[in-house]
Amino acid sequence: MSEARAGSAPARGASPAAATGDVPALALAGVHKAFGRTEIIRGVDLSIPRGERHAVIGPNGAGKSTLFNLVSGRFRASSGRIELNGQDITADRPYQINRKGLARSFQITNLFPRMSVFENVRCATLWSLGYRYSCWHRLSKLADAAERADDVLQRIGLRHRRDALAGTLTYAEQRALEIGITIAGGAEVILLDEPTAGMSRSESDRAVELIRHVTEGRTLVMVEHDMSVVFGLADRISVLVYGQVLATGTPQQIRANEAVQQAYLGTAVAEADA
Amino acid sequence: MGSGASGHRSAIAPAIRVPRVRFEPIDLGRWAIWSATALLFAVLPLVFHKGFAITLLSQMGVMIVFALAYNMIFGQGGMLSFGHAVYSGLGAFFAIHALNWVGEGRLWLPVSLIPLVGGVFGAVFGVLFGYVTTKKAGTPFAMITLGIGELVFAASLMFPGFFGGEGGVSTNRVVGEPFLGITFGPAIEVYYLIAIWCFASMAAMYAFSHTPLGRISNAVRDNPERAEFIGYSAQHVRFLVIVASAFFCGIAGGLSAINFEIVSAENVSTARSGGVLVAAFIGGAGFFFGPILGAVIFIFFAVALSDYTSAWQFYLGAFFVLMVMYAPGGVASLIAMNLRVMRHGLLGRLAGPYGALALATGVLLAGVIALVEMSYQLTLNFASGSQLRLFGMDVDASSWQAWAIAAALVAAGGLAFEAARRRFARTWDAVQALIEAKSHPGATT
Amino acid sequence: MEFFVVSLLNGISYGLLLFMLASGLTLIFSLMGVLNFAHASFYMLGAYFAYQISAWLDAAWPGVGYWIALAAAPLAVGALGAFVERYGLRRVHRWGHVPELLFTFGLAYIVVEIVQIVWGRAAVPYAVPQPLAGSLFTVYSTNFPTYRAFMMLVAGAMLLAIWLVLTRTRIGLVIQASLTHPEMVQALGHNVPRVFMLTFGGGCALAALAGVIGGNAYVTEPSMAAVIVSIVFVVVVVGGMGSLAGAFVASLLIGLMQTFAIGIDWSPLALFERLGMPLGPDAPLYSVWSLKVSQVAPVLPYLLLVLVLVLRPRGLMGTREN
Repeated sequence: MSEARAGSAPARGASPAAATGDVPALALAGVHKAFGRTEIIRGVDLSIPRGERHAVIGPNGAGKSTLFNLVSGRFRASSGRIELNGQDITADRPYQINRKGLARSFQITNLFPRMSVFENVRCATLWSLGYRYSCWHRLSKLADAAERADDVLQRIGLRHRRDALAGTLTYAEQRALEIGITIAGGAEVILLDEPTAGMSRSESDRAVELIRHVTEGRTLVMVEHDMSVVFGLADRISVLVYGQVLATGTPQQIRANEAVQQAYLGTAVAEADA
Repeated sequence: MGSGASGHRSAIAPAIRVPRVRFEPIDLGRWAIWSATALLFAVLPLVFHKGFAITLLSQMGVMIVFALAYNMIFGQGGMLSFGHAVYSGLGAFFAIHALNWVGEGRLWLPVSLIPLVGGVFGAVFGVLFGYVTTKKAGTPFAMITLGIGELVFAASLMFPGFFGGEGGVSTNRVVGEPFLGITFGPAIEVYYLIAIWCFASMAAMYAFSHTPLGRISNAVRDNPERAEFIGYSAQHVRFLVIVASAFFCGIAGGLSAINFEIVSAENVSTARSGGVLVAAFIGGAGFFFGPILGAVIFIFFAVALSDYTSAWQFYLGAFFVLMVMYAPGGVASLIAMNLRVMRHGLLGRLAGPYGALALATGVLLAGVIALVEMSYQLTLNFASGSQLRLFGMDVDASSWQAWAIAAALVAAGGLAFEAARRRFARTWDAVQALIEAKSHPGATT
Repeated sequence: MEFFVVSLLNGISYGLLLFMLASGLTLIFSLMGVLNFAHASFYMLGAYFAYQISAWLDAAWPGVGYWIALAAAPLAVGALGAFVERYGLRRVHRWGHVPELLFTFGLAYIVVEIVQIVWGRAAVPYAVPQPLAGSLFTVYSTNFPTYRAFMMLVAGAMLLAIWLVLTRTRIGLVIQASLTHPEMVQALGHNVPRVFMLTFGGGCALAALAGVIGGNAYVTEPSMAAVIVSIVFVVVVVGGMGSLAGAFVASLLIGLMQTFAIGIDWSPLALFERLGMPLGPDAPLYSVWSLKVSQVAPVLPYLLLVLVLVLRPRGLMGTREN
């Protein structure tokens, strides 16, 4: 089954970026993060080529969300270097990083609850379309923003809830909107923080399809606990344990890795696939 | 438009492209409301034509601009400021000096454009103070605005040359050449000047809320962190909104300078800042038209009610606290909620409970007012004796009978109010449940 | 030299008074996230209650009133504060911090009006009690009032008491924990509403105590709350929100700064004269240069606020916000 999955996408093991020798979409070098005296991230090195779908897995408390927060600028790394498409973003604020082409979603749904679904997405398109801090454009006349927002709504399947207040959506709808807001700005690098958390099997499957669809051609980095989602979507996986990357590789490599099995996966999975 | 059109198109020579026409009906509703408002502004002084009424309307017009400008940062931007009068006050000072220069012949500017001077200088200080205050958000921001407000107030007493010291700066608005016979001497002419500026400012601020910056400021209000992650610096957004708001505050200040022909340190005082906050909140910060209602109510308390009782500040404060506790959405939200009930045809059910509530409130209010007014008479107006006029009757504040009656009214009114409130709450909840059932048939509660 | 020592002592006593207010405010803010705008109003009530209590008691037993008031007024105001928290603030709490702040703001508004209704608009003759009225010692040629020393004593004792409660009692530990991790404290199952009520009441009692000892040292009138509320806010922001140590440092700093400034009559004009360029009234910005430091004194705390915000936004010893 894993062969079939690998075959459904073009040769992803050797990613196109490596072939062309491009700068990696996201690169972390020697990143440390300590809160007071507690070190959460203890030296992470990661290089994610452009166009790759990369999953970060690991036990609870390993520091996955912290890593995301460091990359997206919510926290400042204690030491080390983070680069986005070759640009140093280690000290950048979140809005600066977003403008350079990185967008992220949140584990706990983080929307604009008093605005409609459509407006939530439209707001996410405004900066990238160049409207910036304009107070002389009439929002209702911005055809490109409206088109882009409607397009995103179509892709995430929330067209029918266009005018509903975001705070009134169901949980799954909010998760979909969360993804919609993340991709609406057209960012090259997408970070998804546990996108299928709290979803049922069928909802998860739909979410996976949605994610695969919307991240076509872009770089995706994803934190996930649901192994079927991970092994279904990811080209490569990094395993984070106690703030350090234990192993990085293709799904097969990770599954077969003994250290990973000991620390996280357990041997049952490996045996089931053997 | 579908296959028919394409079929038709194929009949025409392929080189000709049929242009797509998009039909966008004019938003009739919105045009109607704005036209009605303009009409109202124009016609009001003809209905209320006594001199006192015109003055009241003029003050309301000024306050409306100020309250709407404040709501740009408060209700729309999510920033609580205790020092916003610095922008309107400083704008007023610059406007009044400009007006004096016009009078001295040192500056050529039509009096009707003086508010613009206020606006420009308001914006200048918006840049200056906005830079400092937006370094923080939330509660620290509120504290800082209080500090800046006190700073400006204290500074205004240090430079009597510009700020006129204790007496302030006065002016004469009947200067320059009359335009079409308009000198702005009569109160009615001032009213129309204020009404035009008020309408224009309202329209501008409404338009602002429908621009990218206006919308993003809503986003920053709702979720500043998320706004950062869609590419916007929350600090920059807040700064720009403060500058825009300060501009309109300055216009209000300029109008105030023309209306009262005097500006003093009181215009930048914390009391003024508190006043506009109270006005915007009471009216309803969540609705665009909320502060308009709030401004009208506030001026009613401060100008009309103050003629009848010196305890008007207590009543206003008590009203404000009750709103905070029981109706934080303001009067506008109360109206909106009742409109919703009315649209579903259920307002009739509330008539009885409303009536009972009104009666109980009336009794309670009468008792409270009696207590307050009698206390005022004894402690603050004792120079004029202990007699006072209350509800059209002569009352002796030093007689125990008067106090007993007042206390009884409060007790009876209080009990009746509690009973009526509970009945009303039950009926209201029932009505809400009915509405929910209507809008979501088949949904389980 | 005399000026220096006298101003130093006065500045410290004023600073300690500010700290009495700032500490209560910080505790309430840190624990409950509520900025108690009415804090200075409870300070005012403390002074007025003390005046009233001593006026009543002194009629029957002269000289006793003040000492009873010293204990009774803070208790009464503390109880009032707890009542306000239980039936007012708690109602509003569910709507968030802005409505809470607005509630305390409206409360401050009403308290001033009620004080005026009950006690009138003029200052009330709340006087220093006889035994403390003299001067303790003489510094050069200026008398240092005994009462000032008494104020410093009470303030110091209060600080010590707070420190002991915070570090040695169980409730103190809960409050300390809440200073940095309020949600966790709730999750651990402490009766947080009761802790809130006690903290709010306690903070108000502290403010009232400051009023009892400060009201007769300075003046007891309806505007005394408005005068001091913004300065206390400046103290808290400059010290760093949520930091008691920062509030202590900032209180002393501002207390000393204002006290020294009020006594200095120097203005930049003197500097220009020294440099051989005396300025006349038509010199540019003369109104700025002619300002004496004593005239600028009221503005200094706010200038400090702006400076701190621009250079060090988290305050002198700030750790966390909101």
